[in-house]
Amino acid sequence: MFSWFKRKDKSAKIAKDRLKIAITSDRTGTEIPFLEDLKEDIIKIIRKYKDVSNIDIRKVNDSISIEVELR
Amino acid sequence: MSKIIAVISGKGGVGKTTTTANVGLGIALNRKQCVVVDFDIGQRNLDMILGLENRVVYDMVQVMDGEVTLDQALIKSKASRNLFFLPASQTKDKSVLDSEKIGKMLQELKEKFEYVLLDAPAGIESGFEHTIEFADAALVVVNPEVSSIRDSDRAIGILDSKSKKAIAGEDVEKFLIINRFDADMVEKGEMLNSEDILDILSIELIGIVPEDRGVIDASNQGQPIILNPKAEAGKAYTRIAKRLTGEKSPIVEPRAKNSGIFGKLKGMFS
Repeated sequence: MFSWFKRKDKSAKIAKDRLKIAITSDRTGTEIPFLEDLKEDIIKIIRKYKDVSNIDIRKVNDSISIEVELR
Repeated sequence: MSKIIAVISGKGGVGKTTTTANVGLGIALNRKQCVVVDFDIGQRNLDMILGLENRVVYDMVQVMDGEVTLDQALIKSKASRNLFFLPASQTKDKSVLDSEKIGKMLQELKEKFEYVLLDAPAGIESGFEHTIEFADAALVVVNPEVSSIRDSDRAIGILDSKSKKAIAGEDVEKFLIINRFDADMVEKGEMLNSEDILDILSIELIGIVPEDRGVIDASNQGQPIILNPKAEAGKAYTRIAKRLTGEKSPIVEPRAKNSGIFGKLKGMFS
């Protein structure tokens, strides 16, 4: 019933959420300098068998996690 | 032991030069020998903020090239006998910078001064990398605004991967200055507060400088705002200089003008 008082998220909150995502992705880019080349290579290999729609590579602690989305 | 402190930001226009001038002068007014060096080769700004533009004869590139001695190029501040200034070159571009020469010059500065503050160029190009190369610590200047915070994170990343100290596996101290903080906007939820910024950047906070119209008035006259005892921004820089030189000084979160009793209480205890 108090939802009437709750307006949309304040812009500072939106800024914080957006920054967290942007910075996480920026940091991945600098942590894996060969990221783009690796992405292309993996897409080439998998496309021999299945079409790829998206690929996500990120650094998790000391390992690299690769998620391939098929079309 | 003396210390090289790089003043960095990532994005330009957040008040890096103003911060260098004021914190440097604050350190000097705290009776410590301090030199501020304009590393923004080709753009020369710090001389104007310090009101020393008419005294510039030689610059740091001439010192590095051995054309003149350090003593010939150093300019004494009008506001404190403990503060000296080393100007940037205006005619040459950033490509003249050479690690070995920079290292040698900074070593010489370290022998003369307790605090060596380097005003980094904006961006994260080669000029920036040379500024952080020999840094023992960094003052990271941000505005409570998305592009400034994002770019500062990249600058911190370069500091942590390319400075000599970081490469040697040592810790480069990092201190965050939130500049141009507008308490009224923060209270309305229209601007990131200090807690949010610290949560995103996770480095140590050393001070919050409120948005202050006096800063432009001060730079118009070449009189850093720290010399104005009534200015809120000046007081904030004084506190930052104290903390940087190891004195105890509280971090004061600027208050909104009409914050009511709760805001006032919070202000008292923080």
